Amino acid sequence: MIKERTAAKEAHHQADTIILFCVLILAGFGLVMVFSASYISSLEMRDDAFFFLRRQAFWVVLGLVGMLLAANFNYWKWRRLVPLLLAANFALLAALRIPGVGVEVNEATRWISMGGLTLQPSEFSKLVLVIFTAFYLSKKNVNIHNFWESSFVPLAVMSVTFLFILIQPDLGTAVALALITAVVIFVAGIPVGQLLALAALGLPLLAYLALSEPYRMRRIFSFLDPWADPLFSGYHIIQSLYALGPGGLFGVGLGRSRQKLYYLPEPQNDFIFAIIGEELGFLGALTVMLLFFILIWRGLIVSLTAPDVFGSLLAAGLISIVAVQAIINIGVVTGSIPVTGINLPFISAGGSSLFFTMFAMGILMNISRYSRGKGT
Amino acid sequence: MVRDTASHLHIRKRLLTLFALIVLLMIALVVRLGYIQFVLADELTEKAWDQWNRTITARSSRGNIYDRHGRLMAGSATVETVVALPPQIEDPRFTARALAPVLQMSENRIYELITQKRAAVYVKRKVEEEVAREVRILNLPGITFTQETKRFYPNGTLLSQLLGFVGMDQGWGGLEIYFEEDLKGRDGSIVFPTDNLGRAIPGTHRFVPPKEGRDLYLTIDETIQFIVERELSRAMLEYNPNRVMALVVNPQTGELLAAASKPDFNPNNYNDYDKQYWRLYPITDTFEPGSTFKLITLAAAVEENLYRANEGFFCPGHATISGYTIRCWTADRGGHGSINFLEAVLSSCNPAFIVLGERLGAQKLFEYIRAFGFGSKTGIEYPGESSGLIFRPAQVGPLELATTSFGQGVSVTPLQQVMAISAIANGGYLLRPRLVKEMREADGQTVRESQREVIRQVISRDTAEKVALIMEEVVLEGSGVNAGVEGYRIAGKTGTAQKVGPGGVYVPGEYILSFIGFAPVDNPQVLIYVAVDGARRGPQWGSQVSAPLFQAMMKDILSYLEIPPAKPIGEEELRLVKVPALIGLSINEAGALLDMAGLILKPVGFEGMIVEQTPKAGAEVPLHTSILVYLEDLWPEGDSGVVLMPDLLGMTIKDAGEVLARLGLRMEPSGSGIAVEQDPAPGVGIRKGRAVKVSFSSPLQ
Repeated sequence: MIKERTAAKEAHHQADTIILFCVLILAGFGLVMVFSASYISSLEMRDDAFFFLRRQAFWVVLGLVGMLLAANFNYWKWRRLVPLLLAANFALLAALRIPGVGVEVNEATRWISMGGLTLQPSEFSKLVLVIFTAFYLSKKNVNIHNFWESSFVPLAVMSVTFLFILIQPDLGTAVALALITAVVIFVAGIPVGQLLALAALGLPLLAYLALSEPYRMRRIFSFLDPWADPLFSGYHIIQSLYALGPGGLFGVGLGRSRQKLYYLPEPQNDFIFAIIGEELGFLGALTVMLLFFILIWRGLIVSLTAPDVFGSLLAAGLISIVAVQAIINIGVVTGSIPVTGINLPFISAGGSSLFFTMFAMGILMNISRYSRGKGT
Repeated sequence: MVRDTASHLHIRKRLLTLFALIVLLMIALVVRLGYIQFVLADELTEKAWDQWNRTITARSSRGNIYDRHGRLMAGSATVETVVALPPQIEDPRFTARALAPVLQMSENRIYELITQKRAAVYVKRKVEEEVAREVRILNLPGITFTQETKRFYPNGTLLSQLLGFVGMDQGWGGLEIYFEEDLKGRDGSIVFPTDNLGRAIPGTHRFVPPKEGRDLYLTIDETIQFIVERELSRAMLEYNPNRVMALVVNPQTGELLAAASKPDFNPNNYNDYDKQYWRLYPITDTFEPGSTFKLITLAAAVEENLYRANEGFFCPGHATISGYTIRCWTADRGGHGSINFLEAVLSSCNPAFIVLGERLGAQKLFEYIRAFGFGSKTGIEYPGESSGLIFRPAQVGPLELATTSFGQGVSVTPLQQVMAISAIANGGYLLRPRLVKEMREADGQTVRESQREVIRQVISRDTAEKVALIMEEVVLEGSGVNAGVEGYRIAGKTGTAQKVGPGGVYVPGEYILSFIGFAPVDNPQVLIYVAVDGARRGPQWGSQVSAPLFQAMMKDILSYLEIPPAKPIGEEELRLVKVPALIGLSINEAGALLDMAGLILKPVGFEGMIVEQTPKAGAEVPLHTSILVYLEDLWPEGDSGVVLMPDLLGMTIKDAGEVLARLGLRMEPSGSGIAVEQDPAPGVGIRKGRAVKVSFSSPLQ
């Protein structure tokens, strides 16, 4: 205990600069792509070509500040903030249900309006769940072979949060939250048998949730044959493929996407990867995936070399926020998995997501400063 | 028990597993991405291309139709279509309200059209010049024009049924539909890129030029068509029939020179006319031919050597076949009596033809009938041709054989008759009728030229010439005298067929009076068929109605074609005939006398005996002079100051004036031409000395 505290007090060395560079490149590239994807519709609909660019730039700056603060905030201190974080998490999710506080967009209530800015509590939830789960499973008195002692409480907290997000409704984010939590539990070393049992319990539940709403069912199966219903459930996938296909190896050129001309709705959001594939081709898309891969690899290295169990689990959870969402998003855009409203970390337009993901990378960088086998 | 907490050892293993999983997923996604961007790329690009580009049709211009001398019969003019560009319309409600009264459309309909999610919509197609101008004055944003072509027919009703007409986008009748593919050409297109709101964006425009339609040059001669239609219109006024029709062909080539029937329609505004007037009856409709069909029996008998001109024959006025009595048209006066076969043929004696039919036998006769083209389509390039109906060999008993041999119980089209008689005129060859002389590309290059097409030789040249000579006799001194044209050798045959109504029953009192003939006999150049269907005024014999009609057409056509007469006109004395005494006779008896004399009967009054005639009996008059005969019911018994108003319609001013003067009435004429209206109406009693209003009109109006 004494050793850990000491270790946590003084930084051993520099933070992982590869992580920093990856985040900076991805976020910067996101600015370029958000602008490219949005400027025509912004100009025509809002009379302001820079509307999304300005908003995105604002959040990138805010995210950088958050990341800088988090990188210099001893990650060990997050353990003491856990009760506060959980309270804030549920308070924000509950606040969404208060009429006038939650903002309804497209029949879903996912945002809280705060004086011109909107906050998406579910983005915060991911961070809270990662910190909490890492905290809980790294406690000395937890027997990780005992389900009731180890996974039960994090899963219960996750489930409540999951339900809050589900009723917004936002199944995609809820599933992402479950997967991120599952990664932390997995890395903690929960026996494989328990994990399989959990999966066996979780899958029918997930299937029920998916099939209970007709719109979800259509959306879920439309990726198999989007042309069966080209104007409704298959529309997004078809338009996404119409962007990627013509992109080819080199793309049609930055800013020259045809699909962003109202064919692909809101191209700066969840389907921005399709516009990248169209404008910059396979090479551009591959570069983005490579950046994500490097970032994830570095994150896992941080987890591997963290000085303590809490740091390891925390790092694994934080990088899984990026990994899970990037893989789901690219899977959706390429028509490989059902359409879920998950955006591409750092790149898609969207304030809360950008801020909290960058903030998470800040914490990750802080952990990297204490990594073993480096510096000392 | 040692509490097993999370340890670095566990975490290390799990992290490696996690890393492996992520690597696998990423590789899968890269492969999937590559599959989309390389393997599926072409297919997706092609589909995306369809959605990115809009196509505007560049319409080909429709080919023109000309007569044989290149005179325009159907052409295309440019008209404007009102187009809306929905993305550019600022206030659709206002736009709809402003356009509604000008375009004469409902406001809601226009609103519906202009609010569609499309780049451009037609609001109203092919509007009048005036409407286009009014729309221009409104100057509404997003409302513009595109040019389209509209078919126009410079001659109005002339040749209308043959030409047909063009609906909004394609031929709907006649040659316009038959040659649709050739006339229409192929539309081109302009392809340009747009956004998903249908607005054009910068990019490559692709233009596929349209292939222009081909021009048709018909075998029809506009002048001959005009002559024919003029006479048909006159006959419509004069006899007030259900309909009249005529075909003119060159029997040597099979080319149709004119084809018409009335009532017809004006293809420039086809919708104002009853649909039944859109078709050309002599090609689409079948009739019982009547006596003209006797020529087929005659030709067969001559060819088979079963006819001898001077062989004796006795006509008792009827023939009895299988227990049925078949009447000769002379039955009322006890038949033709003892005559020879030539005389029997000249006077169209039914029993004589029954004998010829019997000599041929059913097998032979029907072989000839089919060989002359009856019972099958002629192959003319016109939609809706009928094949007609003749007995099948198995159906033919003695009665069927007998009736067929003088033209009853068969149904044929006038066109079939024309082609069959052409075979007699041209030395025995059944030809395929031709309507299109040439087809040319828009650049003038000829793509098709029609040739004389012999279907088969039906009879020998010798037989054909013999029959032609007999037909000439018919016009010289038989039932066809009224068809003669001074100075020319004309061959012909009258036909008076009873009309077959629905259900195959004869309609009492309704006749189809026809005449078919050709000239000059030694080298036939023109063959004409005319028929008056269901005349409601005037005499009911072909010799008195259709023969003069034929004569009027033939005379002008021969003169137009500059065919020299056999004997120079005027060198010989004008042939004069003596007017027979008609007073005290019935109309039927008077008609028979006048037929043989070559004079035309014009009855005045409704029934009863003839009480007056002008000119008087014994006067010498030129051939084809009209003889006015007054019937006894014009002067009702009891009141000598009152006469019955006769039917003047169809009379010339001269005849109407003479009739009214004879009845002691005054005429107040208006207009010129043929009487088309009279007041009081026919059959009304009128006091002598009163004025009768008669309006005259030219048959060409």
